[in-house]
Amino acid sequence: MEIDQQLLNPIEQGLLAIMILIIMFGMGATLTPGDFRNALHRPKGLLIGFLSQFGLMPLIAFSLAIMLQLPPAQAIALILIGCLPGGTTSNMFAYFARGSVALSISMTAASTLLALIMMPILLDLYAAGFGEQIDAELRAAGDETGFVMPYFNIIVSLLLVLVPVAAGMVLLRISPGWAKTAEDTAGFMAIVVILFLLCSVTIRHANLFLDTSWRIYAGAVCVGLIGFLFGYLMAGLVRLAPRFKRAVSLETGIQNGPIAFAIILLSFREPLQSQMLWVAILYSTFIVITSSFVTLYFRRIGRADWEVYRNDVVHRRLFGKDYRVSYPEAAVGRIGRRE
Amino acid sequence: MPKSFFNAFRIKQPPTFRLTGSHLADLYRRAAETFGDMPAFATRKKALEWEPVSFRELYDRGVCLATALIDIGVEARSHVGLLGDNRLEWILADYGVQLCGAADVPRGADVTDREIEYIFDHARVRVAFVETASLRDRLLALREKLSAGREMEIIVLDPGADPAEGCRRLADLLEHGRGLRKRGDRRVEERVKDLRPDDLFTLIYTSGTTGEPKGVMLTHANMISQLDRIPLEVSCTDRIVSVLPVWHIFERVFEMLAISRGCCTYYSGVRSLAEDMKDVEPTFMGSAPRLWESVHQRILKGVKQSHPVRRALFHTAYFFSHYYKESVFFFCGCSLDLKNRSKGKTAALAVFHAVRWFVLLPWYGFFNAAVLEKLRLVVGGAFKGSVSGGGALSREVDQFFNYIGIPVLEGYGLTESSPVIAVRTPGKLVIGTVGPVIPDTELRILCLDTGRVLYPDSERKDGGRGLRGEVVVRGPQVMKGYYRNPDATEAALRGGWLHTGDIGLVTFNDCLRIVGRCKETVVLSSGENLEPGPIEMRMLQSPLVDQCMVVGQDRRAPAALIVPSLEGFAEKGIKAKSRKELARDRNARSLMLTAIRERISEREGFKSFERINIFFLLEEPFSTDDELTSLFKLKRHVVAEKYRDVINSMYERGER
Repeated sequence: MEIDQQLLNPIEQGLLAIMILIIMFGMGATLTPGDFRNALHRPKGLLIGFLSQFGLMPLIAFSLAIMLQLPPAQAIALILIGCLPGGTTSNMFAYFARGSVALSISMTAASTLLALIMMPILLDLYAAGFGEQIDAELRAAGDETGFVMPYFNIIVSLLLVLVPVAAGMVLLRISPGWAKTAEDTAGFMAIVVILFLLCSVTIRHANLFLDTSWRIYAGAVCVGLIGFLFGYLMAGLVRLAPRFKRAVSLETGIQNGPIAFAIILLSFREPLQSQMLWVAILYSTFIVITSSFVTLYFRRIGRADWEVYRNDVVHRRLFGKDYRVSYPEAAVGRIGRRE
Repeated sequence: MPKSFFNAFRIKQPPTFRLTGSHLADLYRRAAETFGDMPAFATRKKALEWEPVSFRELYDRGVCLATALIDIGVEARSHVGLLGDNRLEWILADYGVQLCGAADVPRGADVTDREIEYIFDHARVRVAFVETASLRDRLLALREKLSAGREMEIIVLDPGADPAEGCRRLADLLEHGRGLRKRGDRRVEERVKDLRPDDLFTLIYTSGTTGEPKGVMLTHANMISQLDRIPLEVSCTDRIVSVLPVWHIFERVFEMLAISRGCCTYYSGVRSLAEDMKDVEPTFMGSAPRLWESVHQRILKGVKQSHPVRRALFHTAYFFSHYYKESVFFFCGCSLDLKNRSKGKTAALAVFHAVRWFVLLPWYGFFNAAVLEKLRLVVGGAFKGSVSGGGALSREVDQFFNYIGIPVLEGYGLTESSPVIAVRTPGKLVIGTVGPVIPDTELRILCLDTGRVLYPDSERKDGGRGLRGEVVVRGPQVMKGYYRNPDATEAALRGGWLHTGDIGLVTFNDCLRIVGRCKETVVLSSGENLEPGPIEMRMLQSPLVDQCMVVGQDRRAPAALIVPSLEGFAEKGIKAKSRKELARDRNARSLMLTAIRERISEREGFKSFERINIFFLLEEPFSTDDELTSLFKLKRHVVAEKYRDVINSMYERGER
């Protein structure tokens, strides 16, 4: 696949930048410093989250890139996506999937900070080979500068993205009401802009959808889906309670798409930039759809254990911290047994 | 890979676990055995401090109380009075009464002296539970007038009430019974063994819109049949909040349902309800239309006062949700089908709804998650649904809650049918109807003039759907009869068929729709029949109207008695200090007339003879002491009697 002209014109790039700003601001408006502290209080869940987000996901992305024989630019984009921290959308999906929102928020908070260190290391580990391929190609085509993985720029972009997050956190501290509005507006904006980008790309590059190889579609769809699956498995292996498994699974598969846009826009040159952006757009589009289905599925399988859990929570809230009941197995099956 | 992992991906939703029994005493015992230490009822001490009672504990106390009741002379199949409102001691008294093989005669704490006198004598009550010290004193004063006289045993439920001469306290009786049990008293077991499904478990005196109250005889089999058939998936992980008066069969069936499913009932009150909803996070509750009207008002008020961005988000969310849900309902067979549709029209509608559904899906998905989910927190975060009964839900309120995703399931029934005849279920949520008839219940629609069976009619292709007539039912929930009132029994139960006195029709997707009340029907002098219900409901949607009643029996045209809303007028710029002031204000009257004309118009589907041009603004609101039943239904005959002069003069002025 070759994109013969810039995928996004300057106006669209500007819009995208504004969207990233608003979304990251909205993300900050949901976070409190307490969330970062709480993250330290649940080391087990957090460790699993760390392993699945920075261990599994980059590996999945790398393996997919190899197996699907993606061209180097797209491969780097996919690995970049794999190395991203979790986004706030995962918190919302965890809520509707009857997962632990607290764990999801902790994981988002922790991974966003850790990404500053982990992303360059992981990119160096997985993407360096593809980088050399591009470098060789460029030099063969007569480009003197070649290609060097822009580690410094990536770290700077990550820091830049964290500025609106911090501003959002300040807003939450000053006015929770406004923060709520900012959060909703951000969510709404995300949908509008993604749809707008898709529409404008469709109009200006009508053939792009057809020209894009199935390998790239497969990569964009599967990186999330396999992430959900392995995240769930991994949490199951260490015997986390079902609601934590669901949270870890969603957190693993759902990455912070806007950060990918920011890094690509700020750190990569054309023609790489357009090719990588296209992968990021495809991922952001498909992840909403796949995670919606996974959430619906989790909601169904999680109904029974979630209801037992909520009932326990209410009992303890109203009848005292030490209140315990055992449920008859005939009525709730094995779930009622205390873990 | 561990096998349990793959099991996790298999979706299995087991059927709701439910207990049954041959009678309530049997059910209570099984619940204690099965659910043991799980909380059965919880009482609010203060916010976030509630006291649970387990199924086993409740049953043990019930057995002790029953032993004591037998000891003080309560006979099998006798009637025990039970005056009071929702509280743990109420259900404990019920346990005691059922376990000693008797039936209770319940009534709320707002019962009048006259009613006590009539009911206790008619039901031959010799032992009575009373909730409070004040009720006790009233009953003590009344005792001389009753046929039981000084022999009447009075038991006070409230543990905080001071001791009084000639009365027993529940706690003392429990202690007495416990002692007897310890010494090997097993009379309770004998009584329970002797109970038959056909025995009464309660004798409920309905307020009755006309004449003296009638005692509805409900048997154990009636109640058990309801518990087996009510299509609500309540399980032992659910939480039910109780606010409606428990002596009404509607709330009572909910509490019995909770016992049969092992679910805990939390006693709340009207005052603390909003707070309790957040603390308890109920999953189900029995509710009345008034509750939803007030929640609706509260939400709209909150929206009005909120930040413009949030207001816009709310309106957009509601817009998408409304049309999205409408399309979903169409595909679930849950739209209101009053007329038979041709195949072509159905196909065209299906295409339209499919397209609309698809276009709205992402928007609905987002707004549902971001805006509506927060809104739904007013009923706690775990709400699965509520059955609304005891009156018709206005269409506006009904739609509002179901479209924002709080399933309000309207049900239909009478005390005489213990009470559920039909109820909407989450899978058959047809707005504008009361849902399908519950299993094993036969339904007929009878022609109002001839009494001919309109539905089911095998000779018609549509089976008689869509035709209006009196609703008549037969089934295991129908009462045994009215106590010591063969004439009334015969009038209501003809050949096993209960004549409800309600006008209804069966929709084309087999749901029952109630459209009015035969007895409410106002016949104008022109001979036109007019249903006041729908007109009143439409008028009540005006913010200017607090309460109203349509009159006009044998008059040329209908007229309305209106209790105006002070806030409503204040918002329109007429700030009056009292309703008296409003009633004299010319501008207020003309504003009201415009509001009525706008709503009761042909465009709104009203016939020309239904239009209201004559009205009177009342100075006093209708109250439960007088014009309203405790479920806020209008006692039409009381209003008509009280305001007879007003009605006459109103027509004289209107006619001029």
